[in-house]
Formats: sequence, structure tokens, C-alpha cells
Amino acid sequence: MSKKKKTGTSLLYQLIGEARGYDDVIIMGRGDPDFDTPPHIVAAAKEAMIHHHNDYTPPQGLLPLRQAIAERVKRVNNIDVDPDTEVVVTNGGQEALFLMVLAVTSPDDEMIVPEPNYNTYADSLAFAGGVKIEVQTYAETDFRADPQDVRAAITDKTRSLLLVSPNNPAASVIAPADMREMLDIAIEQDLMILADDIYDLFVYDDFQHVSPASLPGGKERTLTLNALSKAYSMTGWRLGWIVGPADLMARVTELKAAVSGGASVISQHAGIAALTGPQDAVDMMAEAYRRRRRMVLDALDEMGMQYGMPQGGQFVFADIGFTGLDSAEVAQRMLTEQHVLAYPGSAFSKDRKDYLRMTFLQPEDQLLEGLERMKVAMDNIMAEKK
Amino acid sequence: MASHTKSVILAQHRANDDLNTPLLPQVARADSDLEADGMRAPLDERIIAAASAALEDGQTHYVDVPGIGPLRDAVAEYLNGAVGAHYRAGNVVITAGLQEARFLSIQMIGEQYDSIALPAVVHPGVRKALGVRSRNPKTMPADPAQGYLAPLDAIAQAAADGCRLFYLESPSRLSGAAYAADEVAAISQIVADKDAAVIWDQGLAPWVEGAYASLAALDSDCARTAAIGEAYSGMGLASWFVGYIAAPEAWVPAMQSQKQIMAICTSTASQYAALEADQLYTEARARQLSRLGGLRADLLSAAGQAGLSVVGGETVNVIALRLSEDNANKLRRAGIDFAAGRLFGAPDVIRLNVNRSTAAALSALS
Ligand SMILES: Cc1ncc(COP(=O)(O)O)c(C=O)c1O
Repeated sequence: MSKKKKTGTSLLYQLIGEARGYDDVIIMGRGDPDFDTPPHIVAAAKEAMIHHHNDYTPPQGLLPLRQAIAERVKRVNNIDVDPDTEVVVTNGGQEALFLMVLAVTSPDDEMIVPEPNYNTYADSLAFAGGVKIEVQTYAETDFRADPQDVRAAITDKTRSLLLVSPNNPAASVIAPADMREMLDIAIEQDLMILADDIYDLFVYDDFQHVSPASLPGGKERTLTLNALSKAYSMTGWRLGWIVGPADLMARVTELKAAVSGGASVISQHAGIAALTGPQDAVDMMAEAYRRRRRMVLDALDEMGMQYGMPQGGQFVFADIGFTGLDSAEVAQRMLTEQHVLAYPGSAFSKDRKDYLRMTFLQPEDQLLEGLERMKVAMDNIMAEKK
Repeated sequence: MASHTKSVILAQHRANDDLNTPLLPQVARADSDLEADGMRAPLDERIIAAASAALEDGQTHYVDVPGIGPLRDAVAEYLNGAVGAHYRAGNVVITAGLQEARFLSIQMIGEQYDSIALPAVVHPGVRKALGVRSRNPKTMPADPAQGYLAPLDAIAQAAADGCRLFYLESPSRLSGAAYAADEVAAISQIVADKDAAVIWDQGLAPWVEGAYASLAALDSDCARTAAIGEAYSGMGLASWFVGYIAAPEAWVPAMQSQKQIMAICTSTASQYAALEADQLYTEARARQLSRLGGLRADLLSAAGQAGLSVVGGETVNVIALRLSEDNANKLRRAGIDFAAGRLFGAPDVIRLNVNRSTAAALSALS
């Protein structure tokens, strides 16, 4: 059977579609936490349905939510923002990402993007007519983006620098000294910074997350996104935000209004409950991811697989180059033969055909089973090779 | 040190008049607020029960980009029943409200065409969506005598001038005027003759008293019309942001992939609420229609007595008046908020929502 070769997001869709057909499939692909949204947040949504369903929301979101966001970014990220003028609520981190890219990009403007990276940045940039300038990072150096490589990539058309930390899919965290240097370069070369902090609560071992907007000179040139999706297991609610300097945020507000008008008031009330209510569920989930990450790394070590040490986030980006096969084919075989879905690196970048992205967003027994099946698939592939 | 790059970005944004078009609130902010696009309405307990049950059952995760299957089915069936369209679930994309439907359809269908023809009087959200990335809009004159719809000859002229994509509202978002069946048939003919396509905003169709003609009904093989609207309006879901695009299957993948890029999916609570609203809609809408129809009839006669000039329209939820900017300002000073026709492209018109507060606005005017 000859299948048309798919790439990027459409390749992922094809795999997801096939995965749906298997009752016993184990999904180690999509970045959707297995935990349901904590019950007190669901209860708050129900309350909002009763008392607030007809409420007006401005495009930038309800003020109490913006206040809760301002407090959160101060507490967690040390970013100072005025909830009146420096916060915009979005339909998830995804809309935040799209709006941030639109806000700083005109046709032919360049954005520096450390690779591999979350593919929606490339898609959004393409929509805006911008140009992606890739700076490569490598497993051997745990996918560290080298500030000097960033500097070398800047041209007179470069307008912005993307910093996703912890990164998807590479799971690298930009070290504080590197972050400071990135910001210095941005100031010196007069670039805007797009910071994606969506995985900021998932940082492992002794690694440390720093938001560029928290550093001196950072805020005025940085738009920072975050969302409730990952940390609160709220992917289906579509709630995120952008914070940044008032002048740029006024533009972001217009873009938000143009693209979708506003965010559901029900989700917004749920968001208020999430940010201001008890945080023990968040801590419990973060702890579970920490445990599961160890399980995955142990299994990969056992398989003798190379990977960049996941310093943060919810993924492991593992090198399957030893199979001699394109990761799209490896992912396809793992799915068809073993009913386990991981994402091929080629869906993230044409240069990452040798990688698989695995999540640890499934219950531990399933995760173990998935890793076991993956090992069988790899053994089969290697046996054929011999 | 001030950033030159930022100054350039801000200057470009500031010069973008379309992007800076003000929008109207999605629902009223207070009882005296007659400006909003959507209606405030009670929320049926069954909708609350269904939406919270879905959340409690764990529908808190990502769902399919174009919408949950049952809702796409329900919307297709609803449109087929309500306006005689010919859609199947695969034609439907559920959006996070009407503005997202506008944005996605204008931008992504617009990508396939050189330009897009718009009436000179159109909802400000259209210009705003075009402000993000221009699709080369061409303006068609709008006829005040026809409730500011674009007249047929204007549509024919735009087609003769080479425009192959049209954005039309019926009913008009300003006046509530809708094209009559013979006019819709003529539009359908122009479009077919020129192998053109239409984005057809029919969001106000549920509020038309009497017969409503949708272009989608004449597009029997679903090849040329993308119908857009808010889903189940009048059910208390205006602030939940649920809309739809129902489009030829060939156009869906581009919109779906852009929806993935800019939102991933629509909120599950909103989608499950809309799914329940579908069950209740026929009855609830009929009740609203007759209630608002009664209110509007009284308002029209009060307006007549007060010598106010009403713009002809067919929908029960709005009443548009010709009014000098001076008098409009007086109304604003009296604490009554209305939708300014200026935002739509008709400076001497105001739009008032029909509800229990509208009579007070009219007496303030007289
Ligand atoms: C780096 C990054 N940013 C943004 C998003 C968007 O997340 P959401 O829209 O679900 O909040 C994701 C989702 O996977 C992501 O990985």
C-alpha cells in the first residue's frame, strides 16, 4: 500500500487517527495530561454557569482573572504587570502563541527560533509572512541553545527571538546565565523576545527556570505566554494568557479581539478558581511527572538509547538514529505493531528524523506497558536490521 | 534605552485602521446597554446539567480540532432543518464564537482568492479580521433603502470586475434586513455563473419573523457557500463563545489546520452546552421569537408616533434608526448605550437591541 508521505502536523494527525482505531493503544504522543481537571475547578465552573453565564467579558478577559494572572506571574516568574493594561486572556496557550507572533511580525521579518521547537511557532510565523531563522541545538549538549549561535544568526531583518523554556519537544531549560546573555543580545541588537513559559512549573533536578521579563531590561521588550492547560490539567478549557509591556499589550488586545473576540466566561471563572484556589493538586501532578520521567529515563537507559536530559517539561526527546530508520517509520511501526504512539521528530523539524518525542502524561502502569512495547518494537526493528 | 524595533512595530499597528476598528460587546454590560451583538438570555438548567456532567465525566481534555462529533452533527442537522442547507458533520467547524468564525473563514477561504468583496456597511468584526492580514477587500455600495444590504447590481458589478469571493450578511448585522428569496436566488446565479464563492453570515437568521432565505439552501452540492453564525443564539450562551462555519468539504482542511494553529480546539464546556441547547432550541427559540416580536411591534409603533425614522429590517432582536450624530450623542449622554452605525460604515444610523429597556431609549429620543 503506498501512503502519501506526510510531514509536520498532518503526519501527527495521520498517526493520531490510526491510534484511535486500537482499543488497547497507549498514547505517549500528545501533550495532554492524563489527570482530569481538579474537582474544585470544575465546581467553580458550575457555579459560574449558574451565576455568571450572561456576563460581559472584554476581549482582554475579566479583570479578576487578570488580577489572578498578575499575582501568579509575580509569584512564580517574578514579572511585574498591571492587570489593567498588561494582561490579555487567550483561548489557551495556543492562541497566546499565535497572537504573540502576530504582534511582533510583519511580512519578511525574521524570528530566531532554537530548534527543535514546538511546530506551531513555524505555522504561526508562516501565517504572518515572517521568516524562521533556525538555531540548532543538539542532544549531546542537552539541547542547549547557545547564545553565541543566536548572536551569529541575527541579520538586519531580525525582529524577534523565541525562547521556549522548558522546551517542547527538547525538554531543555535555559540556564539563568544563558537567559541573561540572551536578553543582553536582544537589548544590544534591539530584538523583541517571545517567551513561552507554559512548562515553567515542571523543572527537574537542580535546573532553574527564569523568565526573561523578570530580568532588568527584559519586560519592556518581552511578551510572555502561559496557560492553565498543562499545570492544572485544563487542556480542554482553552485558557491561557500573555503578559507584557502596556504599549505592546494594547496591540495584543486588538489582535485578540480580531481573532476571536474574547474567551468563554465559564473557562475564565474556572481559571480564577485554579489560580486562586488550593494548589495541592498541581503539586501532586508535578510530583507524579517527576516520578514518571525517572521511569522513562530508566527504560531508555535499559534500551541503550541516547537522549538529551529532560531538564523540564513533559517530554523526552530520544535519539533513535541507531535503527537506521526515519523516525516517521519507527513511530509508524511502533503504532501498527505494538499499538504505542510516540511522535516522530520529523514532525517537529526536518532535521530531526532521528528522534522520537515521548510524553510521560499517562498513568504509571500504562507508561510501563508502553515502554515495554516500545522495547519490543525496537528489538524487532534491530533484529530485522541484522 | 527606547527600542527602535518596538517603535516600528507600534507605528505599524497604529497605522492599521482596520485592526483598530472597535468591536461591540458580546452581551449587554447592564440593563440599559442596548449595544451588544448577542442577547442576554436565561440559561436552561438542563444546559447547566449537561455541561457540568461532561466536565465531571472528565471532558476536560483536548478534543477534535473542528469540534466534538455530536455537535458537528447537530449543527449540520440544525442548519439543514432551519434554513434548508445541505450540510453533513464533515462540513462543520465549531469555532470559539462568531468572531473566530469570521476570522477563519475570511482568512482561510480568502487565501484561495485574489480579493474579497464586502458591503460598505458590514459588522466591524469583518474589517477587524481583515486588519490582521489583508485579503484585498473591495467595497460594494450598500443601499440605505434596503437596510444597508449590498444591492444585487453591486454584487453583479463586483463579480464583473473580477471579484470571486463575497462576504455577505443576511440579515444585516446593523439593520436586521435580509435578502428576499428571489434576491438570494439571483445572488446564487451570479455566484454560479462566475464560479465564485460566498461567506454568508446568517447568524441573525433565527430572529427573522417570517420566511428566511439562506444562500446555503440553494447550494445543493455544497460547493460555494460557507455559512457562519453563532451557535444556538438566544440560549444564554453568548458569553460562552460558540460559533460555527459550515462550508464545502474542500475548504474545511485549511480552516481546520488554521484552527489547530490558533486555538487547538473549542472549550469543551461550551461545546457540551451547545449540544444540549440543540435539543431545546426549537421550542426556546420560538418562545423568544414571539416575545421579542411583540416587544418590537410595540417599539415600532412608539417610534412611528415619535416621528423617528426606522431602518427597515426583518429581525426581532434589533431596531435600527436613522439619527444624526448630535442626537445619538444626546442619547449616549442620557446613559443609553447603542451600537453606533459609524462602526459598521453608516454614520447616521444607530442600532438598539430589543428588550425591556428599549422603550426607555425611544422615549428619551422623542
Ligand atoms: C510550548 C508550547 N506552547 C504552547 C502550547 C499550547 O498549549 P495550550 O493551547 O493547550 O494551552 C503547547 C502545547 O502543547 C506547547 O507545547
